[in-house]
Amino acid sequence: MNSPVTSIKLVLLGEAAVGKSSIVLRFVSNDFAENKEPTIGAAFLTQRVNMGDHTIKFEIWDTAGQERFASLAPMYYRNAQAALVVYDVTKPQSFIKARHWVKELHEQASKDIVIALVGNKLDMIESGAERKVAREEAENLAQQEGLLFFETSAKTGSNVNEVFLGIGQKIPLKTAQNQTQGAGRGSSGLRINDDSRVDLRSSGDQSASGSTCNC
Amino acid sequence: MGVRPTTTSASPTQREIYQKSNNSSPSLVGSLIKSLKSSSSTRHHHQQSGAVSGDSDTNQSSRKPHHHLGRSPSQAGTSQHHGRGVSHIHMSPLRKSSSGSSNTASTSAHKEKHQSKRDKYFRDLDEDWSAVIEDYNMPIPVISNGGVELKPPVNVGLRRKEETESRSPSAGYPSLPHLNKSQSSDLKSQYEHENERELQELNSIMQRVAKFDTILQPTNGNLINLSELRRLSWNGVPMVHRPRVWRLLIGYAPANIKRQQSLLQRKRQEYRDGVALVFSAEHTRDIPTWHQIEIDIPRTNPLIPLYQFPLVQQSLQRILYLWAIRHPASGYVQGINDLVTPFYQTFLTEYLQRARKDDVNKLSPDVYLTHEQLLDVEADSFWCLARLLEQITDNYIHGQPGILKQVKNLGQLVKRIDSDLYDHFTQENVEFIQFAFRWMNCLLMREFSMDMVIRMWDTYLSETSLESSSSAVNDNSNAPLLLSSDTSLQNSPISAYREKSSSNNLQSKHSATASSGQTSLSEFHVFVCAAFLVKFSDKLINMDFQETITFLQNPPTKSWIESDIELLLSEAYIWQSLYKDATSHWR
Repeated sequence: MNSPVTSIKLVLLGEAAVGKSSIVLRFVSNDFAENKEPTIGAAFLTQRVNMGDHTIKFEIWDTAGQERFASLAPMYYRNAQAALVVYDVTKPQSFIKARHWVKELHEQASKDIVIALVGNKLDMIESGAERKVAREEAENLAQQEGLLFFETSAKTGSNVNEVFLGIGQKIPLKTAQNQTQGAGRGSSGLRINDDSRVDLRSSGDQSASGSTCNC
Repeated sequence: MGVRPTTTSASPTQREIYQKSNNSSPSLVGSLIKSLKSSSSTRHHHQQSGAVSGDSDTNQSSRKPHHHLGRSPSQAGTSQHHGRGVSHIHMSPLRKSSSGSSNTASTSAHKEKHQSKRDKYFRDLDEDWSAVIEDYNMPIPVISNGGVELKPPVNVGLRRKEETESRSPSAGYPSLPHLNKSQSSDLKSQYEHENERELQELNSIMQRVAKFDTILQPTNGNLINLSELRRLSWNGVPMVHRPRVWRLLIGYAPANIKRQQSLLQRKRQEYRDGVALVFSAEHTRDIPTWHQIEIDIPRTNPLIPLYQFPLVQQSLQRILYLWAIRHPASGYVQGINDLVTPFYQTFLTEYLQRARKDDVNKLSPDVYLTHEQLLDVEADSFWCLARLLEQITDNYIHGQPGILKQVKNLGQLVKRIDSDLYDHFTQENVEFIQFAFRWMNCLLMREFSMDMVIRMWDTYLSETSLESSSSAVNDNSNAPLLLSSDTSLQNSPISAYREKSSSNNLQSKHSATASSGQTSLSEFHVFVCAAFLVKFSDKLINMDFQETITFLQNPPTKSWIESDIELLLSEAYIWQSLYKDATSHWR
C-alpha cells in the first residue's frame, strides 16, 4: 500500500482512427465504445498500476491523429518518458505513419524515451478482416529501432494492459539504473538489455499482477 | 427553465392567448408595465425582467450608436436568468479581485441593463401593438404610453393605473390575477413569484415569437432589417424561426424577401451540381480526404440517434467532402464535422411539425422528408457551413494560426480578468493550449449538449462579422457565385466549378483581410471561453495540474440548460465590453 509511486509521462501517437483513445479507455476504464468522437488537440488521463513492490502512475497524453494537428505533438512528447506508437493492423497506411512517428521520436524526443509499437484492432482479423500489416514486418521495425512491440485489441481488451506493464517494467529500471550507475535491480527479474525482444518475450508472464486501481 | 420546450409544445396556445390579450389591449400592457415598474423599483429582482427580456432587443435599434450596450448581456436571458446573471457576476472573479473599479464596472453594467430594459420594454409594446414599426426614431417619452393608441402621454403614472384596473375585468386567463396580486405588494410570496415568473416567461416567449414574425415579414418594403434581426437573435431565436433566421444571419439568404426564394433555389441547385460533378467520373477522388471524412462520419455525435442513420451519414459526408475539396488551403480538419451538425439539424426541423421539432434528433429524415427536400437541407447546411468557416478560416489552415492566436488571447484575457487563476495555472504548469485548443477548434461544441450548442449559435451567428455577412457582401458575394453557377449550367461544368471555388477563396480571403485575421465571431468566442473558464475559478484554484486538466476536459455541463448558456454569453458580453480597449490590438 505504501509502495513508492513512480510517475511515467506517456504519449500516444499514430494515425487518426487507429484506436489510440480506445486503447487508453480500455486501460484506464476497462471500457470500449464502438464510435468515439475524434480526439481534438489531446486528451489527458491517468492510471495507477501496482507492479509488485511499487506503484506506477501513468500520466497519459492521448494526441489527435489527424495530420493537421501534428504540429502540436512535440509539446506532448517532448517531456515524455514513454510513447505508444499505434497503427491499425488492417491499414497499411497507418503503419507507414507509425514509422514516421518512430523516426520523429528518435530525432526529437528525449533520448531514453521508451517506445512501444502497437498494432491495434487485432479483433478485426479474428472476425474475418484481412490483415494488412504482417506481424513480422512490425517486429522487424521494433527490433531495428529498439521498440517494444505488441498487437492489441482495445475492443476485446486483449494485450492492452500488457503494453503498459511492459513499459512500466522498463522505465523504473532504467531510472534505477541511471541512479546506481548502471547496476540494475536484479530482484525484479528483468534484464536490462539492448535487445528489446528479451523484454518483450518476458513481459507476458511477469510477476507484475497488473491489477489496477482507480485513483 | 425549459424555455424552448415550452415554446414548441405549447406555442399554438400561447399564440392564441397572445392574440387574445392583444385584442383586449390594455390588460397585457398593464401587467407588463406593472412588472416593469417593480423591476425598476426593487433592486435585485430577477423575476420581473422576464416579461421584459423578450423585448430586450427592440430598444437597441433606437440606440444604434450604443450598439454594444444595447445588446448588453443583461438582456440576453430569460426571466430568472437575469437575476442570476447579476449575482453571479458579483460572485465571480470580480469579487476576488476586490478592486473597487471592477465592481463599479459591473454595477454600472447592471444599471445600464435596467435602463435599457425600460426603454426596450416600451419599444416592444409599440411593435406588438401596431404594424407601424417605423417610429424607432421617435423620442423615448412618446413611447411610454405603450403605443396603445395615439393618445398623448399626458400622465404616465395615471395611465398605468387605469390600464391595470381595466385589465382585471377582462382577464379571462387564470394566471393574470396572480400578477395583479403580486403587483399590489412588493413583498411577494414564493408562490406568487413562481406564477408571475411563469406568466412572464410565457409573455416573453409570445412576444419574441411575434417580434420575429414581424421582422421576418417587413410590411414596409421587401428588406428585412438585418441589424435588428441580429440584435434580436443575439438573445435566442424561437425554434420555429430558427432555420430562416440562421440563413439570414450567416448571410446565405438575402435580406430582400422577394429574392429569397429564387436565390435559395439557385444555391440549392448549385450545390446539387457541385455534388454531381464531384462524384462524377470527371473528378478524381481525393482519397486521403475522403478516407478521413469517412472514418469521422460514424464518430460524429455518436450518441445522437439522428447521426447514426446511413442516410444522414451519407449526407454529411457529401457536404464535408465537397467543402474540403473546394477549400484546398484548409481541407477537411477534424472538428469541422462537428460544426456542420447544428446547421443540418436545424434545417431539418423546418420540415417537422411544431410539436415534433424536438424529435429531430431521433427521427430518420426519410420519415418526413422527400429526397429532394433532404438535398435542400443538405445544400443549406453546406452553404451555411461554408459561410461560418469563412469567419474562422485561420483555424483550419496549416499550423492553425487562428486557434493558436485565440488560445494566446484567452491566456492574456484570463490574466487580466482573473489573475489569481492565471498565476495558479502558471504555478501548476497548466498551459492554456492543453485544454483550450479543443474549445477553439470545435467552438465549444464538445463541451455542451447539442441543444445548448444550437442556442449558443443563435448568438454566435448574430456575431458573425458584418464585413462578410452584412448586406454588402450578402448581395455582392452571392452575385459572383450566381454568375458562375449560371455559367456552370451553360458552359463547361469544370471550368465554372473552378471559377466558383476561386471566387469563393478570394472572397474568404477578402473577409479575412478586412478584419485583419480576426473576425468578431472569433473574438467573441474567446470571451465566451474566458467566461466559461472563470466560471469554475473557485474550483480550479484548488486543483493541481492533473485535476485541472481532467476537470476542464470533462466540465460539469451536462445539466446545463438554456439559461446557463445565456448567462455564459451574457458574462462574455460583459467582459467584452469591459476589456474592449485591452483587446483592440487583437484585430
